[in-house]
Amino acid sequence: MQYIRPQDEEYIMKKYYDRDSFQGLVHRRNRFVRNDALFSPETGKSGEEIYALIEKTDAENADLPHAIRKSLAFEIVLKNTRLRVDPRDPFPAICMIDRPLDKTVIAKWRREVFEEILPETGKKRAHFEARGIATMWPDYDHSVPVWERIFSLGFAGLLSESERIRREKERSAEEDAFFESVRITYEALLMLVRRLCALAEKTEGCEKMAKALKNLSTSAPDSFYEALLISYIYFMVSEHIQGLQVRSLSNFDRLYLPFYEKDLARGVSEAQIRTDLAYFLLQFTAIGNYWNQPVYLGGEKADGTTEYSEMSYLFLDVYDKMGIYNPKIQIKVAESTPAPFLDKCLDMIRRGHNCIVFVCDATMRRALMRRGATEEEARLCHVTGCYEYSVQGSFGSGMNYVNLLKPLEYTLHEGKDGVTGEFCGKRSPALSAYESFDTFYTEYKRNLLYVIDNVIETVNAYEAYHEYVNPQPMLSATFPSCLEKGRDAMKGGALENGTQMNFGFLADIADSLAMIKKYVYDKKEISLDALVRMLDEDFEGNEKTRLRLLRDPDKYGNNRDLPDFFAKDIADFCTQNVSGRKNTEVRGGIWSCGFHVARMSYTQAPMTASSPNGRRKGEELSKNASASMGQSRSGATAAILSVTKMDASSFCGDACLDFALHPTAVQGEDGLAAMRGLLLTFMRRGGHAIHMNVFSADTLREAQKDPEKYRDLQIRVCGWNVLFNNITKEEQDGFIRQAEALV
Amino acid sequence: MRASVFEIKRFAVHDGDGIRTTVFLKGCPLKCVWCHNPEGISAKPMLAYFAHKCIGCGECVNSCLQNAHKMGENGHIFKRESCIGCGACEDACLGEALTLYGKETTVEELLPKLLEDKEFYESSGGGVTLSGGECLLHADFCAALLRALKENGVRTAVDTCGFVSREAFDKVIPYTDVFLYDIKAIDPAVHKRCTGVENGLILDNLRYLDSLGKKIEIRIPYVPGYNDGEIGKIADLVKTLSSVTGVRVLKYHNYARSKYEALGMENTLPEALPTDAQMAAAEALFGDLIRK
Repeated sequence: MQYIRPQDEEYIMKKYYDRDSFQGLVHRRNRFVRNDALFSPETGKSGEEIYALIEKTDAENADLPHAIRKSLAFEIVLKNTRLRVDPRDPFPAICMIDRPLDKTVIAKWRREVFEEILPETGKKRAHFEARGIATMWPDYDHSVPVWERIFSLGFAGLLSESERIRREKERSAEEDAFFESVRITYEALLMLVRRLCALAEKTEGCEKMAKALKNLSTSAPDSFYEALLISYIYFMVSEHIQGLQVRSLSNFDRLYLPFYEKDLARGVSEAQIRTDLAYFLLQFTAIGNYWNQPVYLGGEKADGTTEYSEMSYLFLDVYDKMGIYNPKIQIKVAESTPAPFLDKCLDMIRRGHNCIVFVCDATMRRALMRRGATEEEARLCHVTGCYEYSVQGSFGSGMNYVNLLKPLEYTLHEGKDGVTGEFCGKRSPALSAYESFDTFYTEYKRNLLYVIDNVIETVNAYEAYHEYVNPQPMLSATFPSCLEKGRDAMKGGALENGTQMNFGFLADIADSLAMIKKYVYDKKEISLDALVRMLDEDFEGNEKTRLRLLRDPDKYGNNRDLPDFFAKDIADFCTQNVSGRKNTEVRGGIWSCGFHVARMSYTQAPMTASSPNGRRKGEELSKNASASMGQSRSGATAAILSVTKMDASSFCGDACLDFALHPTAVQGEDGLAAMRGLLLTFMRRGGHAIHMNVFSADTLREAQKDPEKYRDLQIRVCGWNVLFNNITKEEQDGFIRQAEALV
Repeated sequence: MRASVFEIKRFAVHDGDGIRTTVFLKGCPLKCVWCHNPEGISAKPMLAYFAHKCIGCGECVNSCLQNAHKMGENGHIFKRESCIGCGACEDACLGEALTLYGKETTVEELLPKLLEDKEFYESSGGGVTLSGGECLLHADFCAALLRALKENGVRTAVDTCGFVSREAFDKVIPYTDVFLYDIKAIDPAVHKRCTGVENGLILDNLRYLDSLGKKIEIRIPYVPGYNDGEIGKIADLVKTLSSVTGVRVLKYHNYARSKYEALGMENTLPEALPTDAQMAAAEALFGDLIRK
């Protein structure tokens, strides 16, 4: 691999877990990276000893606030976990013992909430998930620290600032507990840095790391490498010990440019900076989280000028030459984004870097300003997940996925689930009552609202305990508003404290409604009774009708009025009934809507009945704001026209269009110009996120047959990128069908 | 005024600048052995039957008033001689195995479809391309369509083999931004062997367009064994022209095989494909004019 010596690559790629014994997409082990064998027992205690110590200490402190109890547990881990430094790697190794706080105190408090404090909420949540109605997860996975403050203050500076603000006025017990949790946490972080530094000073070949760690133990980072190093330590500790994912490695070009310039002025070579960056990026490739570690580039400065700089090009070039796909990259695009930079990204995409997604600044800005952000805050917004976004210093949750097809099942079955036959809790009339399409559609919306209300009630109930379960002093110290309010980010301390509801299978519901309107009410070719019977029998014996419905051209994603009307109308309905509603009083934020599905198009599919668009029970559901499987039949331009009929800025959440392009359509200068034209038109029409996969059905079929030959073929699955070889046969077939439909 | 269209391709990226919609009109005065749009040669509508997509649903049998479709013991049988090209079976077919090439269309019907992607044309420098077959066999129709497009602010291109009358060109010249002009060979005998016709008229029309200063992009299909020796001569011709803004050497491919079969036409496609080295050598003859 370019920039990385082979022996170093071998060490780093096995630093986090033994890759040879495990290959796969979703695996707990992949989330809980652990490689105990790497560490010498002399450097600290074993995982078992640390777990025992946490349990013992926590039992002794049972009367203290959770924030302090968690910080004490955190301190135990950072004081005792084993460490390693190695001359093959400019980044240290910290023994990650399966997210120890997740498994001890956090797990305990979470159990308390769902089993003792809110048992009904816990049951409802489990019920909704098991039936594929809605999946709701307490979300500690979508926040980003204010990196700028970590870089400008360092751990030591964040600590002293928190202590200074703490002393500014009389504090309530709760506020004091918050500041105390920050103090313990950051003291522990500094102690970890000192431990690593001592180890590096003793280790031959680690002098550069030792010097940098020494500086970080008292000060802010002073060089490009030190910025990478503090960022790495923050990431590893937050994600794997503190129990909070770091959902972006930052607006890389904006934050690292000053360090880069400073280093160059000091005589550090650009080659050295490239090498350090490459070793940094390789850590995330080696960790190999299935959701991919996000990092984003560009966008605009607060004054509206472009953020793209030589740092952006350098980052992309290093990434390109390494040929990696994790971390994944979001490109913030605006009218001010330089064309050569876009061309570089587009060229990478057509060469197989399917790990790049474009997010449009103007749409995000409008959305955030609707939510109350200032223009400057909105311009500097973070990308906080696959495509999600929020102003800096905010804590948003949003792993709530509503299945838009379930309310249709209720509508067609008098309030019963189309798969299990269970009563959902709200009765719908008999089919004969739907005299017109409008009465039918109105009832569908009533049922959708019923699900929405249930989700809001459930999530609000347990989010009131967000801080109870998992207080976040490490993150909160980077948020000025938390220090000002003396309050944890989980408990309303953040600048914005929103909750997002994601609606899945927009295309499937739009297409299904279009088919009902067309065949049942307009053409009257099929009665509603007959349609429901066919759906109940999974079209058994009615294959011709199923194909007629499936082949009908009125499908979302093809710029056709009928299905696109439903997609927009449903999106508007969700927005009107979700966006702006209050979440829990404790957090004091509002709800917003999004249209991404993560892996729900696979996981909720088996619990979702056959649908009137010709989809059989269990078959893959549509992804994000994209056409349903195999239905993007009019090409990329039509797909863009369809999705941009919806006002993405009104949902205040994300809406990603994924589509495939055939390699021949993007070759040469013409191909690049065409890709640029697609992107710019999408942006100008107010789209939010767009992701292009470039592959041909032939290549995918070959890869399925001969995986060895296509070991590096990347596919973007719902926001994250994977190797084609690592997804299931069923998912592979889905991509092949998508590619076959290319026109 | 009507003309027969056999395809409208959106997001066409190799038929002129930017993102384009290409309209393919039916009928061609040439019969190139390598033709990859054989469905465009005849002026009449033609039904293609893609046997591998047939699921044996039998819907075509019920929809056909001419009894051109039959379900036999071994599945579907299509009697091409009975088919009048009405297209009823295409709509009925559940396997999407039947495609009717050639539908009579008016300018008024076409225009809204072509304007759908106008924003993409604008953001990419693209527009609409008329192609075929040979679109200028329908010169009046093309002129009306191109004029309507220009009135709507759309950039236009005409892809032509050049084997049409001077009058046909005169009709479309005022509304055409660029001509994509196919040159297959300079030697009349070679041209005749490749296309069935000699090329005097083609070269005359090319020089005429050049003399008017119309923007021209030369397109040369490279077909080993047929026009290898002609590329250098075409390069020499291009040097004598002043309005050529680009040259594109099109790599011959044989993807059209299944279409010949589906149309019941004799497959005349050559076997040999150009190598990358041959392509590079051919392109090198045109220097900076080459577009990829």
